Amino acid sequence: MKVKVVRRILEANEKIAEENRRLFKEKGIFTINLMSGPGAGKTSLLVRTIEALKDKVSIGVVEGDITGTDDAERINALDVPVVQINTEGACHLDANMIREALDEIPLNDIRLLFIENVGNLVCPAEFNVGEDMKAMVLSISEGDDKPLKYPLMFQESGALIINKTDLLPHTDVDMEKIRRNALSLNSGLKIFKISCRTGAGLPDWTNYLTTLLAT
Amino acid sequence: MHEVSIAQSILDIAITECRKAEYKRINSISLRIGKVSGIKVQSLLFAFDIIKIDTIAHGASLLCEEGPVAGHCHECHNNFAVASELILACPECGGTRFSINGGRELDIVEIDVD
Ligand SMILES: Nc1nc2c(ncn2[C@@H]2O[C@H](COP(=O)(O)OP(=O)(O)OP(=O)(O)O)[C@@H](O)[C@H]2O)c(=O)[nH]1
Ligand SMILES: [Mg+2]
Ligand SMILES: [Zn+2]
Repeated sequence: MKVKVVRRILEANEKIAEENRRLFKEKGIFTINLMSGPGAGKTSLLVRTIEALKDKVSIGVVEGDITGTDDAERINALDVPVVQINTEGACHLDANMIREALDEIPLNDIRLLFIENVGNLVCPAEFNVGEDMKAMVLSISEGDDKPLKYPLMFQESGALIINKTDLLPHTDVDMEKIRRNALSLNSGLKIFKISCRTGAGLPDWTNYLTTLLAT
Repeated sequence: MHEVSIAQSILDIAITECRKAEYKRINSISLRIGKVSGIKVQSLLFAFDIIKIDTIAHGASLLCEEGPVAGHCHECHNNFAVASELILACPECGGTRFSINGGRELDIVEIDVD
């Protein structure tokens, strides 16, 4: 006996993501799901961004890692609300993990919420958590072939932050190739070239965030 | 990489639907898996075979149909569906202004029950 069911396998995640999204909207919180491969500089970017903006914007952070609290401690040192999620092996954050973490964040006092996803260039892009936008970091040391090898994250993101530009002189990376291929996958992608080490290019990124929040 | 949790979701949905229709056993579950859904079918089958033990789906197999990558070209206005994973230009006219509207599906289509 055959039964037609036609159900999306990820519908449970989508439903919770939708609830998270409604909650963020109700509280007036803009949420950015920050993704990258391991070590591209997500936490460094958050530290720099918080330093630049925290006097003007109230920021909160959810840190996702497979294990450990190192990243949350780096954020905590800046005196902004942060909660650490340990996925215990899972390669991405899902909407339910975010929902549970939100109990620990003073949502009424926050305007901008960053969710730092697990370092992984593939899986995080497949799961919505209720964010307003996905943003990704790609570091120079990962090479210029990444957009075409890992297209999904580039397609899903609204912003691409190319980090570690201070390393350019030491590599053969073709920055224009990254830009061209990323845009061919996603013509609406906003691209920023920065170095969290030197601070170069960071104002472009923080000004962009300020403009996003003003609209 | 997260095929185990996908397999668990498939099993949960199928068991719920089977019970709802008041049947006792699941023989097979038909899926439609988009070419760029990010799921490796082999890993999915492997995971499913482990978690189905001790459930009403213990004898069930997964039947996977692959969905093509589909899109619409804004230059020649053709709809296209191709087997390749990465599309950088319209396969009809070579134009670069197009939108992708299929290929990421991860759906249960049908279950066979007794
Ligand atoms: N040279 C250079 N190093 C950087 C830059 N930004 C970050 N790093 C270094 O890169 C390493 C990883 O940075 P993190 O900020 O921890 O990267 P992440 O993406 O948060 O890493 P995971 O959370 O583990 O995935 C650290 O040693 C940083 O000091 C940069 O702009 N230039
Ligand atoms: Mg980090
Ligand atoms: Zn065309």
